[in-house]
Amino acid sequence: MKLIRTLKGGFVFRLSPREKLLLSETVKFYPLVPASHHHLNKEGKSAKADENQRLLEESLAEHRAENRRLVLAMLDEPKRFRETKTGFELKLTHSEVEWLLQVLNDVRVGSWLALGEPEHEEMPEVTEENAKYYFALEISGLFQSFLLEALGVSEKSEWAAE
Amino acid sequence: MADTEVLPDIEREEKTGSKSDLEPGWLVICWNDPVNLMTYVTHVFQTVFGWNRQKAEVHMLQVHRQGKSVLARTTMEMAEHYVHELQKYTLHATMERES
Repeated sequence: MKLIRTLKGGFVFRLSPREKLLLSETVKFYPLVPASHHHLNKEGKSAKADENQRLLEESLAEHRAENRRLVLAMLDEPKRFRETKTGFELKLTHSEVEWLLQVLNDVRVGSWLALGEPEHEEMPEVTEENAKYYFALEISGLFQSFLLEALGVSEKSEWAAE
Repeated sequence: MADTEVLPDIEREEKTGSKSDLEPGWLVICWNDPVNLMTYVTHVFQTVFGWNRQKAEVHMLQVHRQGKSVLARTTMEMAEHYVHELQKYTLHATMERES
């Protein structure tokens, strides 16, 4: 996936047929993070905290439902991926890049949770059961990097040692 | 019908009930999830708080190295707003009252 044009309100990316397939298969995992994963605070046990937690979960559920609708619309919309001689062109507005980043990070974090929240050096062995989460973890991160690069956010060399 | 209309004492209740909520004594904290890309966290901080790259990177590296970073000290309402926005991006964010 490569940025080929910057428009006034967005971007045009070039994807190979294989990349289009990988992106489509990855976003189909969404949403992967359980609704109960997020908490307003670490210790809140009061009635007000419970109420605020319920409101938070409701609000996030609505947000995820809307993102899910947008994901399915993106995959179904024939004009979204314009076919070219070598692959496809994907046009995204700035706000579409933001929701796609959110969708991809949900898939990435959800996969990590499904793998048992491992540290980098403690990744579990790949099995038939968890292979799909390894796939989703890696591919979502890859597409996130492409989008972030288009937004001008790239990794600094000194971070490599972190 | 009575000559004098008696209104419910809403105003007084609101004042006493929300005083502490309006004080900037709430902290917005982001916790480290090792799965998040450093560039992604930087971008989210810039987007949610409107920070420049340099400030966003300082807080991202604090999360990465120290396990957490206090991103804002604000009112309860704004803290809830920020936590919600960060969680939309699947970052591990919470709020707590400043001790």
